Amino acid sequence: MKFSLDIKGSITPFVAVGRVFEEPKTICYPFEKKEIAKGYRGFHTNSLDKCIGCANCQDVCMNDAIDMIPIKEDRNPKNSSGCIPRIDYGRCCWCSLCTDVCPPSSLKLEEDCIWASDDSNNFLYMPKDK
Amino acid sequence: MENRVIKIYHGPQHPGITGNMSLELDLLGETIKGARTHVGYLHRGFEKLVERRTIIQAFTIVCRICVPEPDPNEENFARAIETLAGIEISDRAKYIRTMVLEMARVASLLLWIGGQSGSIGLGTVGQWSLFDRDLILDLFEELTGGRVYHMYIYPGGVRRELPDGFLDKLFELLDYLEDRLPLYDKVFFENATFKKRAIGVGVVNRDEALKNGYVGQVLRGCGIKRDTRRDNPYLVYEDLDFEIPTFNGCDVYARAMVRRGEIRESIKILRQIIEKMPKDGKIMQKIPKHRRFKIPKDDTFVSTESARGEYSYYIAGDGSEKIRRMQVKGASLIHGFTLLEKLLIDEELSNVAMIMNSLGICPPEIER
Amino acid sequence: MIEKLKQNYEIEEKNQRLFKIRIKQEELITVISSISSTTNFITLSQIACADWIEDEVFTLNYILTTDKRDKNLMVEISIARDNSSIPTLMKLFPQAEVMERDLHEMYGMDFIGNPTLYDFALEDWKEIPPLRREFDTLEYVNSNFEFRKGREDNRDVKVEIKRRRAEAKKRLKDGK
Ligand code: SF4
Ligand code: SF4
Repeated sequence: MKFSLDIKGSITPFVAVGRVFEEPKTICYPFEKKEIAKGYRGFHTNSLDKCIGCANCQDVCMNDAIDMIPIKEDRNPKNSSGCIPRIDYGRCCWCSLCTDVCPPSSLKLEEDCIWASDDSNNFLYMPKDK
Repeated sequence: MENRVIKIYHGPQHPGITGNMSLELDLLGETIKGARTHVGYLHRGFEKLVERRTIIQAFTIVCRICVPEPDPNEENFARAIETLAGIEISDRAKYIRTMVLEMARVASLLLWIGGQSGSIGLGTVGQWSLFDRDLILDLFEELTGGRVYHMYIYPGGVRRELPDGFLDKLFELLDYLEDRLPLYDKVFFENATFKKRAIGVGVVNRDEALKNGYVGQVLRGCGIKRDTRRDNPYLVYEDLDFEIPTFNGCDVYARAMVRRGEIRESIKILRQIIEKMPKDGKIMQKIPKHRRFKIPKDDTFVSTESARGEYSYYIAGDGSEKIRRMQVKGASLIHGFTLLEKLLIDEELSNVAMIMNSLGICPPEIER
Repeated sequence: MIEKLKQNYEIEEKNQRLFKIRIKQEELITVISSISSTTNFITLSQIACADWIEDEVFTLNYILTTDKRDKNLMVEISIARDNSSIPTLMKLFPQAEVMERDLHEMYGMDFIGNPTLYDFALEDWKEIPPLRREFDTLEYVNSNFEFRKGREDNRDVKVEIKRRRAEAKKRLKDGK
């Protein structure tokens, strides 16, 4: 290719320099946290007063992430099986199908989504009672 | 020293490669004499997994077929199921879907700016465009509950109602993006470095473009006006007014300019959608026996225009609640093999990343 | 154009833009080359294969697209599930090469004349081709991978309900 000087094309990119004087766009984690939108698909919550232990959530979960385990104390007399879901976060993909099919809408997803544990095998999560 | 052809692997860990794939290159000096694409680093067997699941369970994995732009997959899947099951979705759902698809297109094109500029060493532009993309992802987060995998377009409609004030926020974001576009022009599209590198590189043979099944920007960069949204319209694209940008030149620069035009067109489309969106209406059609609904023994073929070209699904049902076969064809399958292997011959090694980015090759959709 | 095809083939119209014809396996090359040279269905978009194990066939759908990209035509052939070989379409459409390579790996059928039928996405795969229906992914996973421990306390809800009912009945009886 013949060499030809493209003066405009060589100068205009320097507008980028002007952005040095702008405020940084990043946030200073952990001192400042990003606000998570309402309705974010984070961790599960399960209202034990409402859960009827029907295992619809277990049935719909295609990743087999849900185990039904016996409840410690009966909270809901309508809970005929005495079981509530526990979720394996090593398998869950946060599709929220389980919350869609829950008949009393007791299972929900909350905004919180940060998980840290010192055991690398620790993924079993008991939904918070909310 | 005599001239010797050496063989190198370009990728999968090379930053210039677009995803987890590799190219086996025969090099003579700096010039490529032969190229072979290798995939298989990302095979997840989705097409097989889908066969084991009921339809609504299958819905959650189709979005994972393409990482930068999952929504065309969801749309294809949902539309194929609707066609087979005979479900007609409401106008409002159609508009919302179109909006999601266009937002995803803008996000994906911004990501592409990042990749393309990074591949020629203009890293700054990439940082800006990724920031702008994040603003779109923020909106997605609010709308769908997920930033990258939205799982939103669902057979029968969409899963959630728009949050309060969503369209206003979108409108503001579009204003902001429109303000930003001249900056990209100045720093990237009109940059002398980019022009020098890109013009005349990676030239696609225009005569065989249609016959060989190239799609998307590769065609439009050859001056051939083809766009699934116009040619084979779906959702509400028939009612929207938009141009299909084309550019002559068939090279990397032409494809970049086509994409530049597409961002503007998508913003235009989004503005029209905000204006025309029906105020009320059902977003979700009732599906009988939701968890185990069945599709008849039949097959269909649907396609959607993604930000990289036509994306098509073949879906066959067998009368049960499971899908018999779902076969995905993304734009990259033909581009990554038939086109790329030929295109790289006699190019410089330093241009490989640039050409791959400009074809928009994305291995997840090659191997599914 | 569709009218022209209608004279020669029996066309099933799926919608205004999607058509389907069914042909015999032997006619494949002649039909596709005549369609692609005489009508404007000039390009091959996809070769879609489905396994109908109950009928002992694979159906292959060669999806042809017009040069305007506005209509699609599915040309369907059925082939035997085992040891079947079909001629390659590489001569007509170069993109068929990679599609056939993919199908060969996933289903195991042979495309005569295609030189690239080696590994595509799977490396050193020794089992039966994975997309055949008889390949059971769950069984494969169970025999090749271990599940993470700690989930043994899962209960079957139906059993649990029955047990609790029986218990309640017993309690009722004992109470009396
Ligand atoms: S969480 Fe909902 S779906 Fe799951 S067992 Fe409880 S009530 Fe049933
Ligand atoms: S969110 Fe999806 S993957 Fe996770 S437990 Fe619920 S259904 Fe299963």
